[in-house]
Amino acid sequence: MIAIGTPSALGAGEIARAAWARWGRVISARRSGAAPVDRGDQVMVSGAMSTASQGSDALFNPTEEHRLLRDMVAEFARREVDPQAAASDVKGALNLELFRRLGDLGLLGVTIPEQDGGAGLDAVAAVIIHHELSKYDPGFCLAYLAHSMLFVNNFYHCASAEQRARYLPRTISGEWVAGMGMTEPGAGTDVLAMTTTATRDGGSFVLNGTKTYITNGCEGYCFLVYAKVDGKITAFVVDRECAGFSTSNHIDKLGMRGSTMSELIFEDCRVPAANLLGAEGSGLAHMMRNLEIERLTLAAMSVGIADRCLELMVRHAEERRAFQQPINRFGQIQRYIGEAYAMTEAAKCLTYNVARDVGPAQRNRIGSDAAKLFAAPVGKTVADYAMQVMGGAGYCREYPVERLWRDAKLLEIGGGTIEAHQKNITKDLTRAAAR
Amino acid sequence: MKILVTLKRIPNPDEPLKFTVGGLDYSSHKWVPNAFDEYAVEAALRLAEKVGAPDRLAEVIVLSICPQGQRQHLIQFLGMGADRAIVVDADEDALDTGTVAKAIAAVYKREGCDLLIAGKLSQDNEGNQIAQRVAGILGAPQACFAATVEWDRGQRALIVSREVDDGVEVKRIPLPAVVSVDLRIVLPTSVQNGATPANHAYKEGARLASLRGITLAKKKPFQVLSLGDLGLGGPANERAVAVKAPPARKAGQIVGSVDDLFDKLTKEAKVL
Repeated sequence: MIAIGTPSALGAGEIARAAWARWGRVISARRSGAAPVDRGDQVMVSGAMSTASQGSDALFNPTEEHRLLRDMVAEFARREVDPQAAASDVKGALNLELFRRLGDLGLLGVTIPEQDGGAGLDAVAAVIIHHELSKYDPGFCLAYLAHSMLFVNNFYHCASAEQRARYLPRTISGEWVAGMGMTEPGAGTDVLAMTTTATRDGGSFVLNGTKTYITNGCEGYCFLVYAKVDGKITAFVVDRECAGFSTSNHIDKLGMRGSTMSELIFEDCRVPAANLLGAEGSGLAHMMRNLEIERLTLAAMSVGIADRCLELMVRHAEERRAFQQPINRFGQIQRYIGEAYAMTEAAKCLTYNVARDVGPAQRNRIGSDAAKLFAAPVGKTVADYAMQVMGGAGYCREYPVERLWRDAKLLEIGGGTIEAHQKNITKDLTRAAAR
Repeated sequence: MKILVTLKRIPNPDEPLKFTVGGLDYSSHKWVPNAFDEYAVEAALRLAEKVGAPDRLAEVIVLSICPQGQRQHLIQFLGMGADRAIVVDADEDALDTGTVAKAIAAVYKREGCDLLIAGKLSQDNEGNQIAQRVAGILGAPQACFAATVEWDRGQRALIVSREVDDGVEVKRIPLPAVVSVDLRIVLPTSVQNGATPANHAYKEGARLASLRGITLAKKKPFQVLSLGDLGLGGPANERAVAVKAPPARKAGQIVGSVDDLFDKLTKEAKVL
């Protein structure tokens, strides 16, 4: 590694090996005065999939477009997401300026067809983005997921042309932050027990009820909301202009602190009938379809966390010495590293493999449930292994491991608890066996 | 106005080198664009665009001379905003600096370009010859190691500042011309074109290709030429015969006291 200063500090005849990415990161970290320069992430930064052979590269980057997307997001994550991650975690706030950069880069409409203003890419592309962003800031990535998967992607597939024209341009640009409301204080995994109701009244629907743990609730302008019309789940888009709609204060949380969450409160909330998504009572189908890409991308986030933690522990174990040798010479440490690598690769392969069969035209609940069921504990376990290998350094805020460790837990809960995935998989397998 | 930008693909300079008999083994390296060439594209795009408006003041053409099947790096630059790409198919062993310079000059003439922007050197061999040799072949004015560029569109000229050992030299060169860029060219206000507001601060560094840019890149013109199309060919005049690792550093000694140190410096090292 060659120490490189700011551009103005360089002499006229300086050494040329000055890859921008590296010193860009160093300068930003120095300027913000917040996060210390991370010493642990330079091993694999240049190759997004440095461990991949050519064969598995075809799984992770199936086309040239996917590869370019990965390179772009990885570079964006190193240059712009990483330097702010620790400070956003401390604040417990979404970095809105950075969020809008996702719009500039065209990432907010990744799965939306080109003619409707998106990039027209598939679930593998969505997985790539979540994987790369989560290496540096899973909390920020969660805000991206709530916006682009739970709102934009979900909304697109159940909205009419008029509804798309009203909501897509400003959510794809990032001008409006968006989210989705499903969970309620009394209904989580048992989603059909939701009690939020919608009643038709002339040219509008009147909504009553409360949604909770809603990511982007604080900053969001519009939300895709599920409510029951005559007992049947129905989807609506509700925005801040609707009378009777409000959000609670920020709900503070353990991890994923780069995004916020709140309650969505509907008190005789009047939603124009034009905001009904699809037909009355058709909400369950939309919900089930969208849960698949949600679970898949949450699995990808866990893979990102595991990848980064593995990278950090490998480097630390080589640099840190005990009893006159690097600690990676000890079998106890090798077990953490070896198992972390094997489980990370397994989670990655399962997630990318399932991604090939997730899309608007095909149902793959069992695949997406399996990916998240497997990957979520991997992120948590690898973060835990990294912290153990790094000891005090892993536990302290100087390094990102403790943040990733806190972030990882959410993936066993949000978007379906691991218990929900076990239930669904058993149900799907039993049904298939009975055929 | 047509701006030609040259791009070289190089083995990732952040990966460790593997020495073999008589050279380097790059077989497991990831190939990446030369960083200074990325800065050259960024400089060209800043010259060509008017921020906040769809206007384009220049066409940006990216050119790379590389083996068949190794053209992926060009797509990234089309994704960043370059208008079209030209690739000259050539095997590495057919190339030497002279041939590369002649090929670039031939494309420049064939396209009727007004400006060549190149990185000041490539990070792999640090040759620092291409821009100068092309300028020589074209008989065009040149400014090397540009830290800032200002385009005087009325007078068809560039005002280029260069950071040299004893200060900053400012040159004015008429177009058509050849410029090679230093890394400071991608600081927020290093490039001025008289159309984008002078106080507009770009993000430092070469821009990222947006996702829309990446999807559009496939549809942009991509022309493939051979050295023969440019009237060139034949064996290279230069070739690398060996690359050797620098000798390993000898182990140091730990001394017990200042007296020992003084003794060794005077008697062994004989530097005092």
